[in-house]
Amino acid sequence: MSVLGYTIKRLLQMVLVLFAVSVIVFLMMSFTGDPVFMVIPIDSTAAEIEQARRLLGLDRSLLSQYFIFLGDMLQGDFGRSYVFRQPAMQLILERLPATIEMVLVAITLATAIAIPLGVYAGANPNRPVSRGIMAGSLLGISLPGFWVGMMLIFFFSVRYPLLPSSGRGDTVEVFGLRLSIFTADGFAHIILPALTLALATLAIMLRITRAGMMEVMRQDYMRFARAKGASRRSILFRHGLKNALIPVVTIFGLQLGDLIAFATITETIFAWPGTGKLLIDSIYRGDRPVIVVYLMLTAFIFVAINFLVDIVYTLIDPRISVK
Amino acid sequence: MLNLRMKSGRNAILAAAILLASTAIGGLAQAKELTVGLTSDAVNLDPQAGEELSSNILFYHIYDPLVRRNADLTFGPGLAESWEIKDDTTWVFKLRKGVKFHNGEEFKASDVVFTLDRLKKSLMANLGANIASFKALDDYTVEIKTPRPYAVLPNDLAAVLILNEKYAKEAGDEQLDLKPVGTGPYKLVEWVKEDHITLAANPDYFAGAPKIDEVTFRPITNGATRTAALLTGEVDVIQDLNVRDVDRVKADSRYKVMTKPSLLNVVVSLDQRDKSPTIALDKNPLKDRRVREAMVRAIDVNAINKVIMNGLSTPSEQYVPASHTGYVEGASFRDMYPYDVKKAAELMAEAGYADGFTVTLDTTNNRYVNDQQIAQALASMLGKIKINLQLNLMPKSNFFGYIRVPSDKSSMIMSGWDVPSDDSGSMYSVMFYSRDKKEGYGQVNRASYSNPKVDELIDKADATSKLEERDGYLQEVTRILMQDIPMIPIHYEQDLYAAKTSVEMTPRADKFLWAYEIDIKE
Repeated sequence: MSVLGYTIKRLLQMVLVLFAVSVIVFLMMSFTGDPVFMVIPIDSTAAEIEQARRLLGLDRSLLSQYFIFLGDMLQGDFGRSYVFRQPAMQLILERLPATIEMVLVAITLATAIAIPLGVYAGANPNRPVSRGIMAGSLLGISLPGFWVGMMLIFFFSVRYPLLPSSGRGDTVEVFGLRLSIFTADGFAHIILPALTLALATLAIMLRITRAGMMEVMRQDYMRFARAKGASRRSILFRHGLKNALIPVVTIFGLQLGDLIAFATITETIFAWPGTGKLLIDSIYRGDRPVIVVYLMLTAFIFVAINFLVDIVYTLIDPRISVK
Repeated sequence: MLNLRMKSGRNAILAAAILLASTAIGGLAQAKELTVGLTSDAVNLDPQAGEELSSNILFYHIYDPLVRRNADLTFGPGLAESWEIKDDTTWVFKLRKGVKFHNGEEFKASDVVFTLDRLKKSLMANLGANIASFKALDDYTVEIKTPRPYAVLPNDLAAVLILNEKYAKEAGDEQLDLKPVGTGPYKLVEWVKEDHITLAANPDYFAGAPKIDEVTFRPITNGATRTAALLTGEVDVIQDLNVRDVDRVKADSRYKVMTKPSLLNVVVSLDQRDKSPTIALDKNPLKDRRVREAMVRAIDVNAINKVIMNGLSTPSEQYVPASHTGYVEGASFRDMYPYDVKKAAELMAEAGYADGFTVTLDTTNNRYVNDQQIAQALASMLGKIKINLQLNLMPKSNFFGYIRVPSDKSSMIMSGWDVPSDDSGSMYSVMFYSRDKKEGYGQVNRASYSNPKVDELIDKADATSKLEERDGYLQEVTRILMQDIPMIPIHYEQDLYAAKTSVEMTPRADKFLWAYEIDIKE
């Protein structure tokens, strides 16, 4: 099947996924308490509560609220937050650049460290250095992110004041997006949160790369490559890594989606003004419109990343084709 | 202090302009800047759209009320210069002349009328519950009628912030949330959601230009990070210092820690219906006064203060703090019913419940300081008089709907109540007045408490426009309530702040940190 047909098929699947997400979130939110009480003073009278319900559109049945939501969405209106009174999509989009920026730095950091170390540890599994790397990766997986974040702040901001503890610092606008990495101060602000976020991903990718490399090293073509006199570097990276890369790319895609959608803890610790904090705040406040749109957007991002990952497979391994 | 941070090219120019302007006008050698670490970002900057703390803090920087609530809960003139009572239900407010909104419009009576009108239709309609009608007599005089004599109308008005009619109509709700225009001591310069809100001094402020030229609020939700931001000098003041960081910050001479008893009284309501939802007995034991007294005596508030709150709470004497109308001098739950398990057990036996009973306590696990631990302590303390206290803990997003009157799932509810209007009547009329008797009364009567005498006294208090009379009636209510014990008051939480020693500030009773009252020593 052509790439175009494949794309259309994936798009249809995506519409189904988004529909399912919206139904599930709508149902779930009906169990999490009445959002009206999060917005108005506690001692409001029954009449005042009714007025608030009407203002928020909560006076209708859940089913008709859902259909109104669907109808509006088809016209490009994703609903308004009960709490902020701004369009839910806009609330998310204005925070998204901060999150994506942090995630991209984190994932670049993770990949740049994980792949060389993983290749080394996979090619030389018995060297003490490799064992050290593996032990370190175990720590990376098992240490909780919030603890690592607090420790980094304690050492690099409070004890040795090298880096700022929180916030985004100075930003510049690039194509209308507010970004930190292009200013010195902003870059200093992004290091600690990105490092915290990168740690677990780094450890997972390192272990996957190593496992793949160990598998590949046993293959005949690696021995042939050596026999024909290819350099060690070329053997490891061109013949070895390329064949070990499929699972790494899969994990990369999953992690990328995960970090973008659920960087909540890191964002909270470093007061990073991203989307994860918006999600958790909205859950606490029972702000359904924001939660629905957020999770639908997350589903969209996951589907999109997986689609790209599938395309990348075909580039790495010509034997694979999309269908 | 002169560290100009480049947020973006445009803002830098703006900031520079403000800096220049303020130096030129004030003739100051240096512009004073203050950065405040708040627990969360403001949600809205439209004062009729919500009421959480961070937004409230911002509201009072940008807007002014007719009546100003001072840091110590006294009330004085704000945008209204003076006021008088014409007859029992009619108040006349004289407005300050020559006050300008940030957009240059002059403040007039029509703005007050517009604000009250809009308030009545908003989510915060409750703030205007004691206002029946209002009209402008001339450009600088407003007449407000209350539905019945109401001696504390000015206190209520301290929570109503005045909008500019012209701007609010032009801008619409959504823009008003983002770009507020008020008469207040500070103007909004920039709001980057979840990152910072920057305000610049309003040099023409009617009560005099602020001492601090630029204030930046930064939301830092995580307590430990907030402390770190203070210790690294990124912020000058923080709100809600973590209890475990108190010693560390105190030990450093560059910083100081400030505490202030809050107005939030944590109380446990005791169901007074004949049959209670979570008690599997035909008769509700909580209806027996001896059982209620036994429960008060079995709860050791000092132990809760020491063990759970690290000394950072103030055991409550009554339902409202000493500054409020209705507070009875010298009366205290702690003297009337001191901690005494033996006496408590005797009272239980006397009431016929020597073997105790099982009952459920509903409370939050993320709303009040250490709410979950307090509930657990109550369970173990009441266990000593054989009351088997089951805990039903839930997040606040579920809690307030769950316990809502008619509270048909609850027997005991632990929740907090604060009365920033300095008047116990606003609490008593909604919490202790019989349910469903009068609109606007008893709607949060979580104990289903009903005492005709109390209703009558509250009616009387709400029928006089004289503050001393109101105080007298409400004091009588307090005395009856302390006898009847429909609720057990536990403690007031304590507000904690930390700041650089150069920052001169006094914490406010209502928690609304206000840069206008803050200065920085050179």
